[in-house]
Amino acid sequence: MPASPEPPHGPTRRHLLTTAGALGVGVPLALAGCGGSSKSGNTGATKVELAVYWWGAQTRADITDKVLALYTQKHPEVTFKKQWLGSSTSYYDKLSTMAAGGSAPDLFQLDDNGLAEYTNRNVALDLKRYVGSKISVDKFPQSLRNAGSVGGKIGGVAAAENTPALYFDKTTIKQLGLTDPATGMTWEQLVDFGAQVFTKSAGKTYGTMDPAADYKALQVWLRQQGKELYTPDGKFAFTVDDLTAWLAFWAGAAAKKATPPADLIHTANTGDVTKQLISTKKGVTAFLWSNQLSALAKGTDHELGMATYPGDAKGQWARASMYWAGFSGSKHPDTIADVINFLVNDPDAGTLLGAERGLAPNLDVRASVKSTLKAADQTSVAFESALTGKFGPTPPVPPKGHVQVKKLLIDAAESVQFKKATPAAAASSFLGQATAAISS
Amino acid sequence: MAVTTTPAPPSGTAQSRHAAAARRRRRRGAAARQERAAGYVFLAPWLLGLLAITAIPTLYSLYLSFTNYELLSPGHWVGLANYRRMFGADPKYWHSVTVTLTYALVAVPLKLSAALGVALLLHRERRGIGLFRGLFYLPSLLGGSVALAIVWQAVFSRGGAVNGALALVGIHGRPWVNDPDTVLGTLVLLAVWQFGAPMVIFLAGLKQIPTELYEAAAVDGAGWWRTFRSVTLPMLSPVIFFNLILEVIHAFQAFTPAYVVSNGTGGPADATLLYTLNLYIQGFANFKMAYASAMAWILLAAAALLTALLFTTSRFWVHYSDGGER
Repeated sequence: MPASPEPPHGPTRRHLLTTAGALGVGVPLALAGCGGSSKSGNTGATKVELAVYWWGAQTRADITDKVLALYTQKHPEVTFKKQWLGSSTSYYDKLSTMAAGGSAPDLFQLDDNGLAEYTNRNVALDLKRYVGSKISVDKFPQSLRNAGSVGGKIGGVAAAENTPALYFDKTTIKQLGLTDPATGMTWEQLVDFGAQVFTKSAGKTYGTMDPAADYKALQVWLRQQGKELYTPDGKFAFTVDDLTAWLAFWAGAAAKKATPPADLIHTANTGDVTKQLISTKKGVTAFLWSNQLSALAKGTDHELGMATYPGDAKGQWARASMYWAGFSGSKHPDTIADVINFLVNDPDAGTLLGAERGLAPNLDVRASVKSTLKAADQTSVAFESALTGKFGPTPPVPPKGHVQVKKLLIDAAESVQFKKATPAAAASSFLGQATAAISS
Repeated sequence: MAVTTTPAPPSGTAQSRHAAAARRRRRRGAAARQERAAGYVFLAPWLLGLLAITAIPTLYSLYLSFTNYELLSPGHWVGLANYRRMFGADPKYWHSVTVTLTYALVAVPLKLSAALGVALLLHRERRGIGLFRGLFYLPSLLGGSVALAIVWQAVFSRGGAVNGALALVGIHGRPWVNDPDTVLGTLVLLAVWQFGAPMVIFLAGLKQIPTELYEAAAVDGAGWWRTFRSVTLPMLSPVIFFNLILEVIHAFQAFTPAYVVSNGTGGPADATLLYTLNLYIQGFANFKMAYASAMAWILLAAAALLTALLFTTSRFWVHYSDGGER
């Protein structure tokens, strides 16, 4: 309903009369507006407006706008109210507030950080009755087919696929006369490389990012030793000694000047692409996801390269980078399911989406859009495709409380980096608090 | 203060007079009732707002603090469990208490001193004094704004303006906002910089001090310091007391700068984990809304207790010129 002009405060009699005149124009218009939408309800195709919400950079917003417009073009009765935020932290803060008020968006983006939380708490629509019928996952690789299921429910459908990726600044490395990090190098070799960058650049460039605070780096490192971050029933699958060793390893790297000072690590720990050492040219590596090359390349004029995290590539896995989820309180679950199916399976949608969120989940779409991808996205796709077959098994979905665990790991790592705690003390303090976080 | 007009007592003793008086009282009673009703009608929008938006949610949060309610799932009664956890099993909680107390203990005295100092400089009427008052008040107009905190973050970062200025004089700066040892200091500085509001109150207070006191002091040969200590400070003490209470409560509620500077995490290494930020993280990021409610009520109790404590001490140092009649 269009807003009718409001009478000004403290009206005089004359004022009231003129206002009434103005309202006389406004009211019929407003009524017409109401009538319009209710009438169209009787003419068969019901008008539906879905609220859509996601996080990401401007590029993602442009792409998502386009792909939703394409859906409206094919289904004129469905329109979208779009909302997005740049940072995933504030995204989740806002999503939880909206969900608590019962006004969550109809269709929203989730990742592993929120999947279990929102599915277990019945905020995410259980898509079980749609998957296999309205939402087809037949063309998905095995690793993505069941990716969104949590405790017997399906809270989300994989929107794309990615894997952890180590980015490096090829231009700077070449200038220093060093060789690029490569898939399969050991963690020790990466540290040596970082120390060389520091020495060769006469202290101007800090070698490698210190990923001690990064749960996915810790997870890859644990998996390479046959361990895991979480057990399938949502407990920690590593010991305090494992974490102490991890923190001590990076404390050792700092002592060798292979990693930057703690404040620079802290800035990059936000995960924000623009704050990575590569983007600020303070260092030569960044520990991110494989779909972030195009976003990362935007912030630098240097040439970037990609490798897996150090160690055996078996530590990595093909994961659902994000999920599309619906709101359990939505009035249009069928439409939500149809839109999700369109987003993940439609070839035209796939062309628009490219590899911005990661590789298309539908293998046919993935193959058909390959040639239309931008250069940066093609590199991402080539990187990940080359790894198929080397990946380890898919780990269990992180339990609820994982968001808190991630933050506690950052606290623990930073307390070591800023020399406020020893690795052993930080590790045991972490496990105490983090265990409480995932068990309550 | 409410002014009540009491009707003069009826002076007659005759029956008829009594009856007339009773009639008058009834009429007046009816009129008063009507007036009261009208009062409530006019008050209704505000009163409903107070009840619906403030009072009921506030009391409801007290109830919630005894449950295990999480943001997206209903809870049930758990008694004092949240409070027990807060005091016994949550090292983060005590850390945030320490950070907040440190912040308040440093920021409040500094801010009040700055406000008083500038007010003393600005309270004499000179040409263009209004401009200076305006300029000094300007920073506090910006309030606890997000934009300001972002500017602060940039100015005090590794390559920021502060380090640039220090480099000019040959000092090697440090990453002030990203170093756990200095970040709280930058937040204190931000609070102190916004001394405008207490400054204006101090200015008003200084104007209230009768000039004859200063004249008498001058006649007695008192110097500047003596006059300040024996005339200005005692005469200003009620205003200082008022500002002190306001600023202490303000400091306990500080949130925005810490949230922005740390990207909502309370980092680096939890150095900016102010009480309210911890509360926000517990409630909205960790979903522990019941626990956050309990924290909020403890904060309220602590602020009330501290205010009461300040009131108790005030009798020893606050001087009321009307002879202590309160």
